[in-house]
Amino acid sequence: MASTSRRDALALPEVQCPNHPDALLVEDHRAGDVICPECGLVVGDRVIDVGAEWRTFTKEIATKDPSRVGDAQNPLLNGGDLTTTISKGTGAASFDEFGTSKYQNRRTMSSSDRAMLNASREITTMADRLNLPGNIIDRTNHLFKHVYEQKRLKGWSNDAIASACLYIACRQEGVPRTFKEICAVSRISKKEIGRCFKLILNALETSVDLITTGDFMSRFCSNLGLPKQVQMAATFIARKAVELDLVSGRSPISVAAAAIYMASQASAEKKTEKEIGDIAGVADVTIRQSYRLIYPRAADLFPPDFRFDTHKLPQM
Amino acid sequence: MDQNSTPFQGLASPTGAMTPGMPIFSPMMPYGSGLTPQPVTNTNSLSILEEQQRQQQQQQANAGLPGTSGQTPQLFHSQSVGGTTTTALPGNTPLYTATPLTPMTPITPSTPASESSGIVPQLQNIVSTVNLGCKLDLKTIALRARNAEYNPKRFAAVIMRIREPRTTALIFSSGKMVCTGAKSEEQSRLAARKYARVVQKLGFPAKFLDFKIQNMVGSCDVKFPIRLEGLVLTHQQFSSYEPELFPGLIYRMIKPRIVLLIFVSGKVVLTGAKVRGEIYEAFENIYPILKGFRKTT
Repeated sequence: MASTSRRDALALPEVQCPNHPDALLVEDHRAGDVICPECGLVVGDRVIDVGAEWRTFTKEIATKDPSRVGDAQNPLLNGGDLTTTISKGTGAASFDEFGTSKYQNRRTMSSSDRAMLNASREITTMADRLNLPGNIIDRTNHLFKHVYEQKRLKGWSNDAIASACLYIACRQEGVPRTFKEICAVSRISKKEIGRCFKLILNALETSVDLITTGDFMSRFCSNLGLPKQVQMAATFIARKAVELDLVSGRSPISVAAAAIYMASQASAEKKTEKEIGDIAGVADVTIRQSYRLIYPRAADLFPPDFRFDTHKLPQM
Repeated sequence: MDQNSTPFQGLASPTGAMTPGMPIFSPMMPYGSGLTPQPVTNTNSLSILEEQQRQQQQQQANAGLPGTSGQTPQLFHSQSVGGTTTTALPGNTPLYTATPLTPMTPITPSTPASESSGIVPQLQNIVSTVNLGCKLDLKTIALRARNAEYNPKRFAAVIMRIREPRTTALIFSSGKMVCTGAKSEEQSRLAARKYARVVQKLGFPAKFLDFKIQNMVGSCDVKFPIRLEGLVLTHQQFSSYEPELFPGLIYRMIKPRIVLLIFVSGKVVLTGAKVRGEIYEAFENIYPILKGFRKTT
């Protein structure tokens, strides 16, 4: 099928129509021709087709993939090498008398590439568990590559660096995950991730925005199954509480959890401190402490259009 | 009279041009460096500073022309200190005398009209090391000394404690010793000497080589709440504030190289100093910054 040409060396030789040098030439893949649209002159022929060689429709893993070009290049991660390797032999002659293959060279891959691939796999696994979108995964891979190339954090395990990069990527994309959420999908302890996080920020000379209570509301509330009204009320309560400086010195996660507790207890969907603590990663005594700080001004904290199921909030 | 004024010429050189606030406590001010033998009661920083104030004001009155010398220092001062030169606050020390022979070297004020805070950080902990100069047998020390614990599977040193000054020492088999818990340089040195004497009485040829203070920790209270979010926004390259990891803001000052933990309540912890002056200097540097981030409610 014809397609408009792009002036890159892959698709076209550098030709122009002699009569219309400014005309954009049109490719005809079926005939392999490059045609001038103004006069119809065939300018170039025997054009190399860059389309796929085979079209495979089966999803099952065939023993032989007939495509002779392989996977798409991953230039950002593997350094874009064009090396080739000798694959395992298939015929009978490639095995010696004991059944082992005669040509065994399978291990030479540069160590940095192997580290990157392992980290990439780990990052994809962690992000998959957290249901993170592709842009965060890409950003994490980029961050890991930068940190790995810098070699300043060489002593730290790659998994710790990958987890910290994932945390930073989530923060940078505006959807922060708490350290405890990252810990839940990683084998690294919160302390180590925290240390790596600070070191990576130093090494890359970047900074991240401070977390706010509103960043976590939608996730926590939907995990608890709370309706939108309650979520909006909780967001408002938490923001108001921070503005009025009722909860100075408390972590924003604890304030958010206490706000969700207050909003849910005032609505029809009441959640206990334990449930909220499980979702938010906060101890229920911590929620109780923060709740005690916001309870006295509860009347000021609710949004004006909130429909109360009960006006009697639990007091503790 | 010239002899009186020369010490102050040396102090006139501004040391910290990059830091905000005046470098008031230059390393030449002799307040209890810990190496000179002084009675323990005199190492209270405040008393020494007040003594210096009196000395300097006396010498100011003596040096220079009679009559006019009392007035001229204030002229030079008005740009740097808010005109409070007569009160004996620990920050308002006039750092030079105005004789006709001395050149007018102004103090570099990084923050205009910055008054001193009037708050002096209190030292909470001093860590020092000393080399006893001989190999020690930790088992005999642990068995014969009082208040000594030794668990080689957990840690390869004897942990010894004395009650006065209340300190703890880690004594290693190489003969090196770490002394922690003292509240002043003199107390740290005295405690280290006591530990060395204990080891000596147990029969080892202990000496007292290379006593060095490795770390000093101080704390103080600015008495007003602080907006840490604002501070981390403006001083991003020095501050680290992660409420999930630690409730305080960690401020790494470049000059002097001190780490400050700043809390919302207004309490400040300063650590990483090798000499007392660094703690004071760091606090004087941070105080105007913290005043700028005072919570207004």
